[in-house]
Amino acid sequence: MHKLIGVAAVSLFLAGCSDGMPTDATEAQSGDGTDTIELAEFPDRPYWGDTHLHTDVSVDAFGFGVRLGPEEALKFARGEQVTATTGMTAKLERPLDFLVIADHSDAMGATRRLYDAPRMMVRDPTLRRWYDMMHESPEQSTRAVAELITAAANDEIPEAFRDPEQQEKNTRELWDRHLDILDRYNEPGRFTAFAGFEWTLMPGGNNLHRVVMFRDGSARTGEVLPYPGIDGEVSGLWDYMDAYEENTGGKVLAIPHNSNLSNGIMFELTGPDGGAMSAQYARRRAAREPVVEATQIKGDSETHPFLSPNDEFAGFGVAGWELGNLPLTAKATPDMYAGSYVRSALLRGLTLEQQLGVNPYAFGMIGSTDSHTALATGDEDNFFGKHTGNEPREGRAMEGQNLGTRVGRFGWHYLAGGYAAAWARGNTRAEIFDAFMRREVYATTGPRMVVRLFAGFDFTDGDWDGDWVRAGYTRGVPMGGELEDSGRAPTFLISALKDPDGANLDRVQVVKGWVDASGEAREKVYDVAWSEREMDGASNSPVPPVGDTVNRSEATYENSIGAAELRVLWTDPDYAEGQRAFYYVRVIEIPTPSWVLFDAKRFGLDLPANVVEANVIQERAYSSPVWLRPRSSPGDGPPIMDEG
Amino acid sequence: MIGKLLRDPLAHFLIAGAAIWGILALAGDPVDPADRAITLSREQQAGLALGFERTMGRPPTDAELDAQIERWTREEVLYREALRLGLDRGDPIVRRRLAAKMDELAGAEVELAQPSEGELRKWLADNPRSFETGGVLTFEQAYFSSEDEALTALRGGKPVSEAISLPGSVEDMEEREMAQVFGTQFAEEVARLAAGPQWQGPIRSGFGWHLVRLTRREEGSVPPFAEIGDRVEADWRSRTIQARREKAYEVLRDAYRIEVE
Repeated sequence: MHKLIGVAAVSLFLAGCSDGMPTDATEAQSGDGTDTIELAEFPDRPYWGDTHLHTDVSVDAFGFGVRLGPEEALKFARGEQVTATTGMTAKLERPLDFLVIADHSDAMGATRRLYDAPRMMVRDPTLRRWYDMMHESPEQSTRAVAELITAAANDEIPEAFRDPEQQEKNTRELWDRHLDILDRYNEPGRFTAFAGFEWTLMPGGNNLHRVVMFRDGSARTGEVLPYPGIDGEVSGLWDYMDAYEENTGGKVLAIPHNSNLSNGIMFELTGPDGGAMSAQYARRRAAREPVVEATQIKGDSETHPFLSPNDEFAGFGVAGWELGNLPLTAKATPDMYAGSYVRSALLRGLTLEQQLGVNPYAFGMIGSTDSHTALATGDEDNFFGKHTGNEPREGRAMEGQNLGTRVGRFGWHYLAGGYAAAWARGNTRAEIFDAFMRREVYATTGPRMVVRLFAGFDFTDGDWDGDWVRAGYTRGVPMGGELEDSGRAPTFLISALKDPDGANLDRVQVVKGWVDASGEAREKVYDVAWSEREMDGASNSPVPPVGDTVNRSEATYENSIGAAELRVLWTDPDYAEGQRAFYYVRVIEIPTPSWVLFDAKRFGLDLPANVVEANVIQERAYSSPVWLRPRSSPGDGPPIMDEG
Repeated sequence: MIGKLLRDPLAHFLIAGAAIWGILALAGDPVDPADRAITLSREQQAGLALGFERTMGRPPTDAELDAQIERWTREEVLYREALRLGLDRGDPIVRRRLAAKMDELAGAEVELAQPSEGELRKWLADNPRSFETGGVLTFEQAYFSSEDEALTALRGGKPVSEAISLPGSVEDMEEREMAQVFGTQFAEEVARLAAGPQWQGPIRSGFGWHLVRLTRREEGSVPPFAEIGDRVEADWRSRTIQARREKAYEVLRDAYRIEVE
C-alpha cells in the first residue's frame, strides 16, 4: 500500500510539472520551420487549413458541452479518427494541412474551473446559478453559456469571473501546456500547428472579434500570454502585437471575423472614437490585419443583396445572420450593412485611401469554421455543428439557436463552415504565415477548389501554352498583390480547378470595385468564364443559370453539368487611367445539397419546402483581391513576395 | 467575574468555538496518531519552488518559499481533517478526480519509464503500420474530358493531353499528396497499377479521364528506426499507457457485480 502511495505521489508530482507529456518536441517542431524542409521555387499548391477552432479551453465551448481539448483537435485536423463529445466517431475525409486553435483569451479555461469548483466556493449569485445550470443538463449548460455571452456583450460579467490576477495565473498554466502540445504536433512538411487565440471585443454585442495568429514556436510565444479583450480597444490589441514583435523578434497578425454580426462597426468610415479616421489608425490596421475571415459557420460576410442589388449570387449565407448583432441584443438596419460586409469594406478602403493616403481595408480573404466542438470540419456531409449542443442529431436543423432563438435564427441558418487556402512554398509555420501576410490566400465555403489569379499588363493567351504559373509570378503579381497603374488596362490570368472530390464549376467571376471620377465608390461583377450551356445569343445578356441536378430527398447531385476547370485571360473592359480599383475572383460551383439535406436524409426529416430550397446551395471561393493603384501612390500594404 | 465573562462576546466566541472543535474531534473516524504527523520532503519543497517559478518566471525568495510552504501545510491540515469527516464522500467532483487519478496511476510507471532501444525496435517491428509512409509514385498523365477520347488517344500511341491545370508529370509524389492534387479516386486507382513504360487507362478522376504512364513506384515503407526513434517512443508511451489503463480497469471491474436497474 505504501508503495502505491509512493507511485501516486510521483505521478502527481509529474502531472504537476510536465503534465505527463510523453516526449518533448524536436527543435524543428518547436521553431517557425525555417530551413527544415525543401521549398518550391514558387508557391506550388494551396495548403488547406482552419484558422478558427475552439476547444474545451474556450469559456463558451466548454459550457456548450465540448470535452475535447487541443490534443484531440490536432489529431482530428491531421486526419486521425477521434470520438466526438457526444460519442460519435469523427474523421476528415481529407486531412487539413494546418490549424490555428483560437480559444477565447478572455476567461481562458474559466468555465472549466467554475464547473470543477466545489459549489460552496461559488458565492456570486449569478455564477452560482450558472454553476447549477451547467451541472444540471446539457440543455441548461447551453442556456448558461448563452446568458454568459449576453452578459459579456452587456458588460455584466460578474467580477469574480475575471479577477485579473487569478486569471493571469490560470492562463499562464494553460498557455504553457498548450504551446507544448502545439509543438509536438507541428511537423514541418506535413502538418503545421499555429499558436493563436481569439480576442473577443464586443461593445454592446456588436461583434469585433479577431483571431490572433503567431508565426513562432513556443520559445517566443511562451514569452507572452493571450491578450484579453472583452472591454478593451482595438488599439490595445495592436499595442500588444507591436510589443510581442519588438520583444521577441517574432511575428503576429490578426484576422477580423463575423463582420456580418457587427451591426456596421467592423469596417467604419470613421475612427473608433467616432471622429475622422486618422492616417495612423489606417496604417496600423493595414499592417496588423492583412486578412479577414469572409465566411464561416455563423454566416458569410462577402456581400448583402441590399449592397449589391445587381449581383445575382449575393446573399449566400446571409439569412438569419442579417437580423442583428451576435447575441441579437440589437437589430440591424440596412444602413449598417456597408460597415458589416467585406466587399463594401474593400470599397470604403479605396475611398479612405484617397483621403488619407493609406488604405485601412486592403485585406485578403479566407474562410474558416469557428467550430466550438474541437472538430475542424467544413464539409457539408460531415458537419459536426457549431457547438456540442448541435452535433448530429435529429432536431438540430429546425431548432432555434442558442443566440437569438425567439427572433428568427434557426439551426439551418448555420453554414457547414469554410476553409482557408494559402499559396505557400511549403508547409511550415513561416511559409504559411508569410502567405497570410502577403495576402496570397483565399476563402472557400468548404470545397477545395484550386484558384489562381495573376495580374499584369502583358499577359497573352499564349501564356497558357507554357509555364503560365512562372509567367504569372515573374511578369505579374499573384492574388493579394498590388499593381501600379501603367496607363494600360490590366490583364489577368485566372484559373479555377474544381475540387477533385467535389462538384463541378458553374462559372468564374471577377468582382471589381473602384472609385469613379466623381469620387463615388462603384462595384461590378463580370462573368469571365463559364461551363458550356445554351446561350440566348445577345452579347450583353447575363450568363443563364447552369441548371440543377440536386436530388433533394437523397441529398445527391450529378456532375453532368458544369466544368472541371475554367480558365481565362481577362482584360478589364472598363479600365480608366488613374482609377483606384481592386479585382477579386469569385468561383461558383454547380448547385449541391447543404448539410441540412444530408441531415434530412439521415434522420428521415420532413422539412418545410422553403427550408429545403434554401439548402440547395452554390458553394464558392473568394480570392484575395489585386489592387490597382495610381502611379507613384505610396504603397502601404505588405510586400508582394517575401524573398527571405 | 463569572457573570462578566458570560456577557463578553469574545468569551462566547471562544466557548462556542471550543464546543464545535470538541464535537468535530469526536465526530468522524477515530484519529490514528500517525496521521497527525505532516512531513514536507525536500522533493516536495522543490516541487513548490518549481511551481512558483513556472508561474512567475523566477525562483521564489526564501520568504516566498516559506509562504508557499505555509499555504501547503494549511491546505494539508484542512484536507486531512476533511477526509476524516468524510467530506469527500458523495461529492461528484472528488469522485471524478479520484477516478481520473486511478487512471493516471495505472499509466504512471510507463510515463517515467525509459524503454530500451531494443524494446522500441521491437515495438516498431510489431506495429509497422503506425509508422508506414504511403507509396511514392513517378508518372506522367494526360487528361481527357471524355472516356472515348481517352481510348482513342490510347490507341494512337503518344497521347496529347487536353488543357487542364494539373501537373503533366510528377516525380516521387506521396499517395496522400496525390489525393490532394488529383482526388482520392485517381490516387487509389493509380496506386493499383503496375509500373511499366506503356500508357495505361483510362482512369477516372473528379476531373474526367486520364491516361497514365507509371514509370516508377516505391511501395509504402517503414522508415528505419534511426530516423523515427522519437516518434516510436511517443507512440510506445501513449499506447502502452492506454493499454495499462484498460487492463487495470478490467482487473478491478471483474471484482464487481454490476446491476443496472
